[in-house]
Amino acid sequence: MTLLKAEGITKRFPGVVALAKVNLTIQPGEVHCIVGENGAGKSTLVKILTGLYKPDEGTLTVEENAIAYVPQEINLFDHLSVAENIMMPLDGRGQVFFNRRQCERDALKFMSELQMESDPSALVKSISVAEKQLLQIARALANSAFKLLILDEPTASLTKREIEKLFGVLDALKAQGKSIIFITHRLDEVMRLHDQVTVLRNGEVVGHSKGQQIDEEWIVRQMTGKDIDLEALYRPTVPAGDVLLDVQGLTGARFSDVSFNVRAGEILGVAGLVGAGRSEIMQTVFGLLPRSGGQATYLGEPWTFGSPAKSIRKGVIYLSEERKTHGIFPHLSIRQNVAAGLLRTLSQGGFIRHGAERETSSRIVADYKVKTPSDQVRIVNLSGGNQQKVLIGRALEAAPRVLFLDEPTRGIDVNAKDEIYILMKRIAEEQRMAIVLISSELEELLKCCNRIITVYNGRLNGEIPEDRISKETVINAIIGADHSGGKNGNTTNQSVY
Amino acid sequence: MANISAAAASERRKPKFAGAMSGPLAALLIMIGIGALVSPQFLTEYNLTIMSRELAFIGIVAIAQGLLLLLGDIDVSIGAIAGLAGIVCAKLLVDFDFHPVIAILAGLGTGALAGAVNGLIITIFNLNSLVVTIGTLSVFSGLNLWITKGQTIVGLPEAVTFFGSGTWLSLPVPVWCMLAAFVLILALTTITVFGRKLYAVGNSKEAARIVGINEQRVRVTAYAIAGALAGLAGMLMCFRLFSAQASIGQSWLLPSIAAPVIGGIATTGGIGTIWGALIGAGIMVVIGNLIVLGGVNVYLQQVVTGLIVVVAVALDAMMRRMGKR
Repeated sequence: MTLLKAEGITKRFPGVVALAKVNLTIQPGEVHCIVGENGAGKSTLVKILTGLYKPDEGTLTVEENAIAYVPQEINLFDHLSVAENIMMPLDGRGQVFFNRRQCERDALKFMSELQMESDPSALVKSISVAEKQLLQIARALANSAFKLLILDEPTASLTKREIEKLFGVLDALKAQGKSIIFITHRLDEVMRLHDQVTVLRNGEVVGHSKGQQIDEEWIVRQMTGKDIDLEALYRPTVPAGDVLLDVQGLTGARFSDVSFNVRAGEILGVAGLVGAGRSEIMQTVFGLLPRSGGQATYLGEPWTFGSPAKSIRKGVIYLSEERKTHGIFPHLSIRQNVAAGLLRTLSQGGFIRHGAERETSSRIVADYKVKTPSDQVRIVNLSGGNQQKVLIGRALEAAPRVLFLDEPTRGIDVNAKDEIYILMKRIAEEQRMAIVLISSELEELLKCCNRIITVYNGRLNGEIPEDRISKETVINAIIGADHSGGKNGNTTNQSVY
Repeated sequence: MANISAAAASERRKPKFAGAMSGPLAALLIMIGIGALVSPQFLTEYNLTIMSRELAFIGIVAIAQGLLLLLGDIDVSIGAIAGLAGIVCAKLLVDFDFHPVIAILAGLGTGALAGAVNGLIITIFNLNSLVVTIGTLSVFSGLNLWITKGQTIVGLPEAVTFFGSGTWLSLPVPVWCMLAAFVLILALTTITVFGRKLYAVGNSKEAARIVGINEQRVRVTAYAIAGALAGLAGMLMCFRLFSAQASIGQSWLLPSIAAPVIGGIATTGGIGTIWGALIGAGIMVVIGNLIVLGGVNVYLQQVVTGLIVVVAVALDAMMRRMGKR
């Protein structure tokens, strides 16, 4: 009894083969993980399974209306209630007038099935990302008695605890005999969930496992086609130099009394929960957010907290965690993206120096191994990892002394991550740059940082030197030590890794 | 070295012009072909002059609006700003005997100032451009009525009417003005630092701030330039009519938006080129001309123009989607 059978699926786009002869079978009650780097063909495959694209070759056999699909992007009505969102399009009962209580009663049934904690009458904009993720699944439940649920990277913006809860829900669905296709590039999730694993690389199935003993190394090898040491450390090993930036008692809208310093040639980690105020602190130093108190010294002189433009000129650069909306200029070419951040050096008398512009951008593409046919390609067409390499390359071109990297590897695959870690280590060691790395990924902080400061609820609550960096010390600090036993999530909008 | 840069230069121009502009340009050429086939009057010197003059005015306001569309903004008061500049200039010439050069500069300044006011309100209070300019549209048209008291200002000196109705090298003078504005704005958007900033802000104002671009200054400057261009169009129209009245520029709103959009400038900002505004304006003018030559009932002409614009935009969107699949 096969639920879905795809044979020899091939899909071509102008100039590229997005999928080549892909086979896939799904049995009832199993979790099938599809993994692959960005651009490996995962999304194209999903679009074919859900009928959005027609395959050029191959056959797809699947029961009608058996599939429910939850896309990666959250797609909800922010200003309607949770219940209304679940019961959309609200026309199930064929009645003319909208009955709010009825709607909320109906919705509650699906909500409890997914262990959702929100009030059904709450507006969606006020609930957490994790609840929104569950809400999308609840909506799928309400709309059809699906047999196969497709989840496209649902954990990208969830914390560890929220992810565990989601997995609990998936286990329950599985126990009811529903099948799940789970698309991800997080290896631990694959290990936790899979019954079957299909690994895609450049549109082809390069690895498949059902029931075999597999480990993370195997997946990485299939995904990237090479061996990557998952245990490798990327800490700069040259001793740190002078203090470049020293912040004292900094206070802003969502944090207070924050003091820290960062030295030449070190990577300083900033750990903390999403919403603890990590990004806000660094954005305030950079001049993007207003400061209400505190001082700082930069290269021995008082720091003015002016504007981003001033900070960049003095050698302090910040790269946002929101790469898509606050990082790239999507419809401009790689070259124009590079130039937009370096207008001062690439112009003369108000006019662009086209030669210098071309030379700089092709150098960045070559030096940072940006995978692209030309630097005239719109940057939005690159994978996340390659976009990030362009942004980091552009930042380094301005020769900063202090570089704030806010979640630099979010949504980036293993291979590109590895390259970015190596790059961070190199610039810290060779150019003696001070790197401040804000990250929600514990592994990343453990591997890359010489020192970690932890932010809890808008305050610095710890500094962990290199010899004491471990999973336990960081987690304890992040969750505010003695607060860890209590119930959290409601008041501070935070939750545990 | 020369070889390399020549190759790179052709590579640069290709996606910018041939790639993005081939669709609208082909549409324009096809329409001209159709016109030549169906109407013997279409390619006569007389008709071409009429069309070129029409293109002068629509072209200038389309370039102005195109500049703002590149930012992701829209200024619906652009026609009223044109009227205001024309009226101020005419008033200074007729009632206060100003020197023509000073009066024209004052007209350009009025347009720039009105545009800058729009830009300042939008950036300082972080408001939607459509909402703000609907308000200022009423303010500027009200000023136009108040200054003219609803009357027509007549008696413009010959020194200025030449700019509206004279010809130079067998082209109407307004066409030369439009071409000058086009070259200037094309250069501004492609080879200057300001142009890069404009595209950057249109793509993402947050990303622009993070790389140190003063987003507000770019926006206000763009509005002022667009206002000055609108003012130029308004004054040329007054010089052409030998008079100024409150209704000047009122019919320019639709073509000012439709032309750049047909030419491939996205209303969401950051996509397209000033070439698109010019070619789009050409398409609008040919459509308008063919409707007249085709003998469409005078009272139905607006209906037909509107329908063609909607169909053109829908076709373009459909073709784009098919290209993506």
